[in-house]
Amino acid sequence: MTIKNYDELTNLELDTLKEIGSIGTGNAANSLSELIGQTVRITLPEVRIMGYNEAIEWIGGPEEITAGVLVKMSGQINGIMLSVQQLDFVNLVLESMLGHGVADYLGLHEMESSALVEVGNIMISTFINALSNLAEIEIDLTVPAFTVDMQGAIMAVPMAEYGGQSNYIMTIGGNFICRGKEIPCRLLLSPDIRSLNFLLRKLGVDSGE
Amino acid sequence: MKMAQREGMLITYALGSCIGICLYDQKIRLGALIHIMLPLNMEPGRKNVMKYADTGIRETLKMMESKGASRSRITAKIAGGAKMFEVSGGSLGNIGQRNIDSVHINLKKEGIHLLKEDVGGGVARTLLFDVSNGLACVRCYGRPELII
Repeated sequence: MTIKNYDELTNLELDTLKEIGSIGTGNAANSLSELIGQTVRITLPEVRIMGYNEAIEWIGGPEEITAGVLVKMSGQINGIMLSVQQLDFVNLVLESMLGHGVADYLGLHEMESSALVEVGNIMISTFINALSNLAEIEIDLTVPAFTVDMQGAIMAVPMAEYGGQSNYIMTIGGNFICRGKEIPCRLLLSPDIRSLNFLLRKLGVDSGE
Repeated sequence: MKMAQREGMLITYALGSCIGICLYDQKIRLGALIHIMLPLNMEPGRKNVMKYADTGIRETLKMMESKGASRSRITAKIAGGAKMFEVSGGSLGNIGQRNIDSVHINLKKEGIHLLKEDVGGGVARTLLFDVSNGLACVRCYGRPELII
């Protein structure tokens, strides 16, 4: 069966996507550990399919300022992956890599921004790598793009890009545990609908067969 | 879409590539705020008319007219249409600019005069529309508030 929208996903298909989210974030946590030179574990991530408004509430409201790293996927899968970096996460990265944190996002200069882009990019690449190995598909990634702005507008990017097809977005949330602190990890994965169907077929959960 | 008459603040938060369109009949002080996400409605069932510039503007004007507004008096102010990320190679469609173009074309087609706009660039905008006087305020991160 080919689905036309995210809300048509069956429980089996959702479980499969959750499994991918779990493996992907586990890998992302490992690469973060290596990059910042500290042990980072991750709690069991929660993978959900949400409408835009629900996703905005989940992440803490539309006007809240955040840093976002965006990578576009192409090849056998088309889509967007976003790493939303809230201030706790930003400071974990900066304190580990540069030895100092920031009081707010205005404190992000070139050096700080580069570090965040690098970390976001590595986490996304590791996640996608795990996904492509699992499904045996090839996915190309663009170089990462970075912005600091209202999170409502950042999260609307995949919705607008694929908005003609879907009102839903896949959210992957877990907590990184580092130095005894729990820090939210927020990733968003938005394959277009054709790619989502292709992915599910490759993973062997095509419910129509 | 939100509508109010005589008083009230209509707000739409964090417009990125989306556009907020304030439509206003000064005489009867009837105002509407539409938040469109995409330039053209190509949905088969046309369920979400307000999500698109073309059907959103057309349907809102009809609703305003049914509340006594006159097409010849209705004016528009718009904000949004930004490009939130610069993806090298331009592989990310510039939806913001396409939204701006579509809103311009559709306002013109409906005979609505565009009074002021704050569009494009790379910043998110929150748009507040005061129905008592027709003034709109644009709020951005790292930039002073702008009244349009």
